[in-house]
Amino acid sequence: MALPQSLRTSVTPLELELIASEQLVEIVPLITMEKTAFISGAYGPLRPPAKCRIPLWMATNLKLKKKCHIVPPEWLSVDFLQERLTRETSRPEFSKLPFRFAEIAKVILDVASDDVQNADKIKSLLKDLREARQAKSRDGLQKLDHSELSLPNLCSMEINEIRPFFIQSMGILTQLVREPSAE
Amino acid sequence: MDVDDDDFFTNLDRPGGAANNNTFQERLRRASRDDDGAEIPDAPPFMFEEEEETPLQQLIRHWMNERHSPDILPNEGELLAGLLDHIRSQSETVQLLRTDPSSSEEEHFRIVLVQTEVERVKFIVRSYLRTRLFKIEKFARYIMTNPQVQQQLSESEVEHARRFARLTDQHFYHSVLQSLPETQQTLDDQPPFVPSMVTEPDKGRAVFVLARQDCPPVRLPDGTALDMRKGHISLTLYSVVEQLVARGEAELV
Amino acid sequence: MDNDYFSIDAILAENQKIQCTFKVDIPDMGHLAGGSDRDIKSLTKAPIPIWLAYIMLFSDWADFTIPSPFGTRVRNALKAEPRSVKLSNLVGAGGLWYGFGKMVMDILSEEQANGISEMLTKAFKGRLLEVIDQAQHFAALGPAGGGGPSTDTAQSFREGLDGTERELFALAQESAKRMKRWHEGNDKARR
Repeated sequence: MALPQSLRTSVTPLELELIASEQLVEIVPLITMEKTAFISGAYGPLRPPAKCRIPLWMATNLKLKKKCHIVPPEWLSVDFLQERLTRETSRPEFSKLPFRFAEIAKVILDVASDDVQNADKIKSLLKDLREARQAKSRDGLQKLDHSELSLPNLCSMEINEIRPFFIQSMGILTQLVREPSAE
Repeated sequence: MDVDDDDFFTNLDRPGGAANNNTFQERLRRASRDDDGAEIPDAPPFMFEEEEETPLQQLIRHWMNERHSPDILPNEGELLAGLLDHIRSQSETVQLLRTDPSSSEEEHFRIVLVQTEVERVKFIVRSYLRTRLFKIEKFARYIMTNPQVQQQLSESEVEHARRFARLTDQHFYHSVLQSLPETQQTLDDQPPFVPSMVTEPDKGRAVFVLARQDCPPVRLPDGTALDMRKGHISLTLYSVVEQLVARGEAELV
Repeated sequence: MDNDYFSIDAILAENQKIQCTFKVDIPDMGHLAGGSDRDIKSLTKAPIPIWLAYIMLFSDWADFTIPSPFGTRVRNALKAEPRSVKLSNLVGAGGLWYGFGKMVMDILSEEQANGISEMLTKAFKGRLLEVIDQAQHFAALGPAGGGGPSTDTAQSFREGLDGTERELFALAQESAKRMKRWHEGNDKARR
C-alpha cells in the first residue's frame, strides 16, 4: 500500500517533530564552520563563541556530537511557563504558546537538558500545562457540533492528539443532524 | 516582561531580557551575536514566518495539506522539481567534498549536515508523493472519469491512475463480473438507494484549519459565517475551507 | 457510517431488519415473510432487511413501524440519562445503533425524521465525553493496569457502547497511547 493505514487519517508525533525541527534556534558553536548553503537557507559562519541561528535539527545534530550549546528560547524557562500555567488554570481559554512548543521543548530537553536551566522543573511545568490544556480540549468536545468548533491557541501536538476522534465525531454528527434543507 | 504583548513571541531573543544573571544559560543568551552573515534568515524563532516561505516550507505546507485533506490536491510539480534539483546539487557537492583527501574536520561536519538535510527533505518528498499515490489509487476510477481532476495531477500520476483503474477493473472482471449477467458487469452504476460505485473524495470530512492571514468569511453548514483572522484555528468541514486552502490563505494542521 | 459503495460496515448495517406491513399481495414471495405460504398477502407483517425495505417502501408496497430500538421507551430512557442506556443490547453486539437509526431516519417523513435525528444527536453528544474519558483512562493505565477505579457503572457503560462508539473509543485510546509513547521516549540514537 502506498500509505500505511495508521498514516491515512493522522500524522505521527515524530513527523511533527521533524517539521518543528526546521525552526531556527540560537546556538553557541564549539566548532568553526564557514557559511554554508543548505536547501532551507544559508547558515553560518560558526565562530565560537559568537551565537548563531540555525535550524533545530542542525543544532540537535551538533549538540549530540558536543559541538555546540543550544540557547533555549525564552519561553522554555521556569518563569515563563509558570506564568502560563497560572493563566492556563485561571482562565477558560487556551493561553498563547508557540504553535509547535511541545515538539521543540521535547527535542531540546531530550538532547540538551544540560543547556536548560532547571530542566526538571521545566519538564514538570510542561506536564502540568499539558494536563490543564487537555481539560480544555475536553470542554471543546462537549461543544462539538456538525458545523464548526473554534479552538484558538490550540497547538500542533495537541491538535494531533485529539484529531482522530474529533474528526470522527464531527463526521457522525454530520450524518445524524438534519439541516432544515439549507441549500 | 509583558507577556500580554502580542509581539512577545516575535521578540524572543532580545538580548538580556530575563532577570536572573550569571548562570551559564544567561551567559549563553548574552554572548555576542555574530552579525557577519547578513543573509542569515532573520525570522523570529518558533513563530509564524512573517516573510516569504522558502520552497521547503512551501512543500511542508503542501505535504500536510495533502495528508489532512480528503480530496487530492493540485500537484505541486514545479515546486517539487526545484527541490529535487536542489537535492541533486547538494548531493553532488557532498560527493565532490568527500573525494577531496584534504577535507578537514570542519569539512566533515559540513558534509554530515548537508547530507542530513538531504535525507530530511527526501523523507518529506517521499511522504508527500506516497500520500498522493494512496489517494490516486483510492480514487482511480473517479480520476479517470473526471478530466478536470486529471488536470490537477502530473502526467505520470494520471498514467498511474489509468493503469491502476484498468488493473482493478480487469481483476474484478476475471474474478467475479464475467460470471454475472452482462447487465450487471459494469463498475460505474449509480443505482437508487445505494452509493455510487465510483468512490469520490468525501469533502464533508472534518479538518483542522489554521488561517495564514485574515481570511474572507466562509459559510458554515449551519448557515452562519466564519470569519477567520490570522492565526485562528478551527475544526470544520473540508468543503467549507477548500478554497481558502487552495489559495494558500489557510492551511490544514 | 461512511457512504462508500465498497464499505463493509455499510453493507452489514443494512442487514438490520424493520417490521413491515405489506399493502399489496405479492405472489411467489412467501419465503420473505418466513412462513410456508407461497404468496405474501396484503396486511401480512414481516421483518424485512433495510436494503430490501427501501424499494418496497418507495414503491408503496409496504409500510413500516419505527423499530423498538428507537421507540418511545428507549427515547424516554435516553432522555433521563443517556449514559445509562445499553445501546449494544438494542442492536446486538457490534451492532450500529446510530447507523441503523440514520437509515431509519432517512426513510421517515420529515417530522418523524426530525424526532429521530434529535434523539440520535442528543444521545451521541450525551455519551461522547464518557466514551473518550474512559478511553483515555485506559490508555493511561498501560499494559500493567486493568484494575483502577473502573467502577461497575463504568464497566456497564463500556459494555453498552454501540459499534460506532467502540470505534471512537479505540481511536481515542490509540491516540492517547501514541502520545504517551512519544512523551516518555527519548531516543537519542534516532536523531
